[in-house]
Amino acid sequence: MRLLFLACFFSLSLLWAANPTPQQASEDVETEFADKTSEALFDPLEGYNRFMTDVNDHFYEYLLRPTAQGYAYLVPESARKGLSNAFENLFFPIRFVNNLLQFKWLNAFEESERFVLNSTMGILGFRDVAAEELHIYAHDEDFGQTLGAYGVGSGFHIVLPIIGPSNARDLVGLAGDYWLNPLTYIEARDANMVDNTAESLGVTAFYMINRTSLHVNEYDSLKKDAIELYPFLRDIYESRRNKLISE
Amino acid sequence: MMQKLLSSIWVMLICAHSLLALPESDITPFMRSNIDLATSILRNTHLSKPERSGKIFAIFDSVFDYTLMAKLSIGAKQWESLSSEKQHEFTKLFEMRLKNSYMEKLDLYTDEKIVIKNLEKIKDTRIHLTTHLMKNGEVYEIIYKFYKTANAGEWMIYDVDILGVSIIQTYRTQFAEILAKEPFDQLLARLKEPEPADTKKASQ
Repeated sequence: MRLLFLACFFSLSLLWAANPTPQQASEDVETEFADKTSEALFDPLEGYNRFMTDVNDHFYEYLLRPTAQGYAYLVPESARKGLSNAFENLFFPIRFVNNLLQFKWLNAFEESERFVLNSTMGILGFRDVAAEELHIYAHDEDFGQTLGAYGVGSGFHIVLPIIGPSNARDLVGLAGDYWLNPLTYIEARDANMVDNTAESLGVTAFYMINRTSLHVNEYDSLKKDAIELYPFLRDIYESRRNKLISE
Repeated sequence: MMQKLLSSIWVMLICAHSLLALPESDITPFMRSNIDLATSILRNTHLSKPERSGKIFAIFDSVFDYTLMAKLSIGAKQWESLSSEKQHEFTKLFEMRLKNSYMEKLDLYTDEKIVIKNLEKIKDTRIHLTTHLMKNGEVYEIIYKFYKTANAGEWMIYDVDILGVSIIQTYRTQFAEILAKEPFDQLLARLKEPEPADTKKASQ
């Protein structure tokens, strides 16, 4: 009988152990969330950032989106996807170098494979044969992510004209990637894809319109979720970058 | 005899235990079948949009803890300063917003495949369920975050991470910014008004 009692007692204690203080569970969920308001965050450019967010939003609403939608009406989706693939193929140097800088040897190797395959069999990168046939996917890395992987903090948040949300670290990153981008490379013009700055800007603008035309619905749906656009976009940008750096 | 009695008591107690605490292993099959069900409802063009949303929320209402989500989005301090009517009103408005947004997202990705990647027990009272949405060879990661509720170890969702962005965190940041400048009633009014994109589209 004593044994029986002991057994009951023992299994009851197991029961307790398996339900660790459930009352606390819902309350300490709160600690998982941070207070990321402008005051709590280091956001010295808040006034300018809010202004630039508005400017960019107007630029998107009244210029970029209508242009992209008009363009999408004229050019079939398959062609726009092909062009998007071709552009991404051109940006191979950025991904390759930054994978190397982060010691991601396999990813850098796969990027090279993709570039060779897509540039030849994929006809100048219009078809992403590497992904479609061989399931070798792109490994997006940029210099901002490389700096983040080295332990550089994000610094203050800054909203750039047209480009949108960024921060001090990624601003340096953008400058670094600029030199690896075949569309903007400005040394040794005679050996380059574009002859002058005007052409470079033209091609970059076209890239942007093409890309926007493929993502209008996603962006619009995202924007609908915003109640205050600036803190909303800032939060999304910073969380997303942190996630990309951690990968 | 004693031995038999003892072992039967053991069995009874173990059974009682598993009845009390819903095992985590139920989360994956539940979510898998219900995400599949939700996408098939969305693809069903015979149903009107309100019919589709009604059916989908009937599935997910039991796993989303909207009250906790509302409370987290506004912060415990602010929450406690509100009367229970205001809390209720805010929760309802917030729930509507979350639902509309979730429907919108599902609507965008109806043709895509959603697969459940893995279930990770972060700690005793937290589970993260990682799902992948595949689109054009790209993978979009969506994590459903569960916590163990006080009543009989039921698991409920308190947040969703999309591509590393916590939905509740984005609302929390916005609400805090708004409440730093405006009174609470103003926030309620802003939650009530139709989304800006809608009004623009309507005026075009």
